[in-house]
Amino acid sequence: MTETRSRPARSRLAEQVRPERPFARFRWTVTLVLTALLVWSSATVDASWGRLTEAPGRAVGFAQTLVANASLEPLGVALEAMWESIAIAWIATLIGAVCSFPLVFLAAGNLTRGRVKQPVRQLLNVFRAVPEIVLAIALIPFLGLGPVTGAVAMGISSIGTLGKLSAEIVESIDRGPLEAVEASGGGRLTRLRWAVLPQAMPEIAAFWLYRFEINIRVSAVLGVIGIGGIGGFIAQAVERNVFERIGLGLVVVILATMLVDAISSRLRRRLIEGPSPAAQARRERASVAGAEHEEDPE
Amino acid sequence: MIQFESAEVTYPGGVHALQGVDLTIDDGELIVVVGLSGAGKSTLIRAINGLVPLTGGQVTVGERTLPGLGRRELRELRAEVGMIFQAFNLVHRTTVLSNVLMGRLHHVPSWRSLSGLYSPEDREIAMQALELVEVVEKAYVRAGNLSGGQQQRVGIARALAQQPRVLLADEPVASLDPPTSHVVMRYLQQINRELGITTLINLHFLDLARTYADRVIGLREGRLVYDGPAADADEAVFEEIYGRSLTADDVLEAQGGL
Amino acid sequence: MSAPTGERPRRPSPVASARPQRRPRKPPPQPFTLLGLVGLAAFTLVTAWDWVLGIGFNPIALPGELADSNPAMVEGLFNITDADWRADYAELLRTHFTDPDSPWLLSLDSRIGSGLVETVQIAVLATLVGAAASLPLAVLNSRLGAPNRTTHAVIKTLNNINRAIPDVIWAALFVVLVSVGALPGILALTMFTIGVVVKLTSDVVDGVDLGPVEAARAAGASHAAAMRTALVPQILPSFASFSLYAFELNLRGAAVLGFVGAGGIGQAMNYYWSQLDFEAVSVIIFVYLVLVVIVEQVSISVRRRLV
Repeated sequence: MTETRSRPARSRLAEQVRPERPFARFRWTVTLVLTALLVWSSATVDASWGRLTEAPGRAVGFAQTLVANASLEPLGVALEAMWESIAIAWIATLIGAVCSFPLVFLAAGNLTRGRVKQPVRQLLNVFRAVPEIVLAIALIPFLGLGPVTGAVAMGISSIGTLGKLSAEIVESIDRGPLEAVEASGGGRLTRLRWAVLPQAMPEIAAFWLYRFEINIRVSAVLGVIGIGGIGGFIAQAVERNVFERIGLGLVVVILATMLVDAISSRLRRRLIEGPSPAAQARRERASVAGAEHEEDPE
Repeated sequence: MIQFESAEVTYPGGVHALQGVDLTIDDGELIVVVGLSGAGKSTLIRAINGLVPLTGGQVTVGERTLPGLGRRELRELRAEVGMIFQAFNLVHRTTVLSNVLMGRLHHVPSWRSLSGLYSPEDREIAMQALELVEVVEKAYVRAGNLSGGQQQRVGIARALAQQPRVLLADEPVASLDPPTSHVVMRYLQQINRELGITTLINLHFLDLARTYADRVIGLREGRLVYDGPAADADEAVFEEIYGRSLTADDVLEAQGGL
Repeated sequence: MSAPTGERPRRPSPVASARPQRRPRKPPPQPFTLLGLVGLAAFTLVTAWDWVLGIGFNPIALPGELADSNPAMVEGLFNITDADWRADYAELLRTHFTDPDSPWLLSLDSRIGSGLVETVQIAVLATLVGAAASLPLAVLNSRLGAPNRTTHAVIKTLNNINRAIPDVIWAALFVVLVSVGALPGILALTMFTIGVVVKLTSDVVDGVDLGPVEAARAAGASHAAAMRTALVPQILPSFASFSLYAFELNLRGAAVLGFVGAGGIGQAMNYYWSQLDFEAVSVIIFVYLVLVVIVEQVSISVRRRLV
């Protein structure tokens, strides 16, 4: 900035040169690629686009049938099925959390050498990549067609996601406390316990809860292939055209999922942000009030 | 013309930001508002374009009177009042030109603003605004890549693109170093003199106030405590406004320098 | 001042100005932690035990069950440690991919090839359409972007309901509405994409710089114009990243949806499974894994550049 005086408007306008508009290469490439993808996909995919026009009509008819057949009679069965889905999701999340936990520290770049980190990461990737439904099908010959199969399948898949994302959380912690523990002579285990865990644990636990939320949806999906739960409930109802069950099943799965989501969000926020300032102030006052008196024997 | 009549602003927490302010500003004046932090300078300025609603009294800007404007009229008022911010308030990721074109938003139909396809006339106005502050060569540069002084000049260009009748500047140089501050203040002064736009500037550097203003207004605890020509505003006047003796922090030229 | 030792000092501090201090009592563990752990344990027991409300999960017996249930298949699995078997399998894959007479030829005509292509197409369409719809919806889904409270509440509730419906259920519903094929899969995944991208993007809106928004308002811009020029540019990189993430999820989802008849490689898998042609199924799984890993690697490197 060498200008120290601004000149009168006329001379300013006269002497300046307006730059040319640059060619936005990135933007054009992206637009081109996306348009090409759009055109290719919609042109060659085997989709009966014509049916879209019928859809709203059929949707109204379907909705009317659902409402006309609405009844609370299968509620007990529906709730049991929903509970089964939730139970499957819970066990799966536990399996994922417990089994991934040791792997997390081996997969975190700031804790292990590359030679160990890479294969562990790849292993976790394999667990992640396989869709739960494929794992479930693969386990059916061994464990039969039941909720445990679903739980184990989803558990294995969860190991992958939880492992990878928890490792990323661990990699993003502050180096400071690690150094402090090292400087005071702490070994690897001490570092883990006192420097890594206190920082990473709230976020990791919050992630476990988030995974639980997602697993409920997945277990509903698996229900479709016979694992049980609300997915099976709805799928069977669709197959046999039992309309009162379809409507009720939908309502149950939506409400239950939203309920679990809401509870889980609050728990997660509490985990990450800690107790509310009011609660903290209360505890502090209580502990100071009950303080020990320092005696002065003299 | 801008006129405050018994203007009052009380924030929800109970803070009396403005109390019983009566003030008349003629067209084309360049006024600097001084006062300590929390004295009400920001509130005074933002009452003019309705960003802060009055809780008592009224403000007349041209033919319109606040409070009492509908949403549409409020936007029309704001289109005629340009504003410059301490933090520049540019969108860093987009180009300088796109930022300046934000000044034309009220004047373009929604399909243009939503798609980003402005008319050639609007682009011409934006370019001229950039030329007025001599930063047009950066028109297609990402706004975040500019220096502080350049960004503030882009902010001025954005306000000028509105073709405003009034220009409000809320601590425009507080984040800039002394030489750059002078450059920005000079541009504001030039624009006021050449284009005749009524200009109100909040400052807390007294030497800048004395150098560039025609008229100085002092606020203390929400009340108008001084209103007079800049030539008469000496140190005694400022100490009166601040209610304390002056320190080095109050003078720009005493800043920085190792 | 002397260094702290383990014993309680029996004199007041030698520093004359130090006031006599009271040590606070150690606070009891927070109810949150206690309740949390107890609740966790109880919930686990209830869901795992083999009774009406539980699924009968016994982690100790599990490995034994796995091994005993189907000895033939377990032995078959151990083949993978045998180098010869691996070589044979690799040869099998190679011939079946390249031999023009093979039904599994990885060409666009074969069941597997076309299934894969269809899966990608479904994922692409669902992501493109879903992402396009998500951008304005994400703005409305945030408190800053919604023009009024009612709109915000309505959009937020609708999106929560959308997210609560698993993609397979959407697919089943759409199959009822538009019959089987790729279309219900595309529609279902579009709804799924909107759910995911809107939630993630509107979370980002909460952390945006409000300065430019104030500037737009001060210039007299309408709410929509202010959002478009001051808010959207700030969230675009994150939005693009989330859309790419949704594409990855859609690729996986498209494969699964085939099981309910919504097209893609899932249908091919279903077909071969019902024919008990497990070799074909394994080939499909293998090819699919390769595809997913490739897409993921590309996606990660692109997303890193975006944010």
